[in-house]
Amino acid sequence: MFRSPIRRQRGGDYRFTISDDERQLVLDLVRQLRELLTTDSPALRRLFPPPYGDDDERNAGYAVLAGSELVERRLAALEVIETTIDAETLTEDQLQTWMRSVNDLRLVLGTLLDISDDEQPVSGADETMVAVYEYLGQLLELTVQALTD
Amino acid sequence: MNAASAPAPVETLEPEVTEDTALDSPWVVIVWNDPINLMSYVAFVFRKLFGYSKEEAERLMMQVHHDGKAVVSSGSRSDAERDVFRLHEHGLWATMQQD
Repeated sequence: MFRSPIRRQRGGDYRFTISDDERQLVLDLVRQLRELLTTDSPALRRLFPPPYGDDDERNAGYAVLAGSELVERRLAALEVIETTIDAETLTEDQLQTWMRSVNDLRLVLGTLLDISDDEQPVSGADETMVAVYEYLGQLLELTVQALTD
Repeated sequence: MNAASAPAPVETLEPEVTEDTALDSPWVVIVWNDPINLMSYVAFVFRKLFGYSKEEAERLMMQVHHDGKAVVSSGSRSDAERDVFRLHEHGLWATMQQD
């Protein structure tokens, strides 16, 4: 029977036993996202949606007020992942931070892969990138399951 | 207002204050369907941010999925901006508009 590598323990912390290869992959991606967040790459567009629909003026105001705070929080979350990259036990807060960042990574990869409504990558997409995107989906699903149990 | 207090700031404050008073129609926060976010994740975020029951969070998530969008909260403009910010922090595609 499949046993999830992410499990709630008595006492409220979470057992977190993904493989070393998975940890290395996540760390590489986290470092790439950290770099990307210093740019205005269109790959980031799903992380910063305009909140006021077509109202460009209000969207610009929100971007000034909230944009840098959103970047700061994302960078802080990435730092939590880097400092707990080898941990086999995570607190609930730490696991929720992992969840948010894994979702961010998925959103960026999904944007780069141009994932559309049928949820399938476009044909001819980079196979490695597709595999990483699918892996992140599994990791996120297991994380949400553990937090929901 | 205290008659002894300086009257100067009143005029400049007024327009902003009226924008958020309860007499104005409330703002609603809308989450839109997107092809990337996982359904389980979206439902979990609704529970976490708004304290919805599992059933209510799943109902809203399915509404987003099938109808393309759902109203997840409403209130003053500043309430709505706070909720939109938290949804954006969690990577959900959220907008706000006056009802």
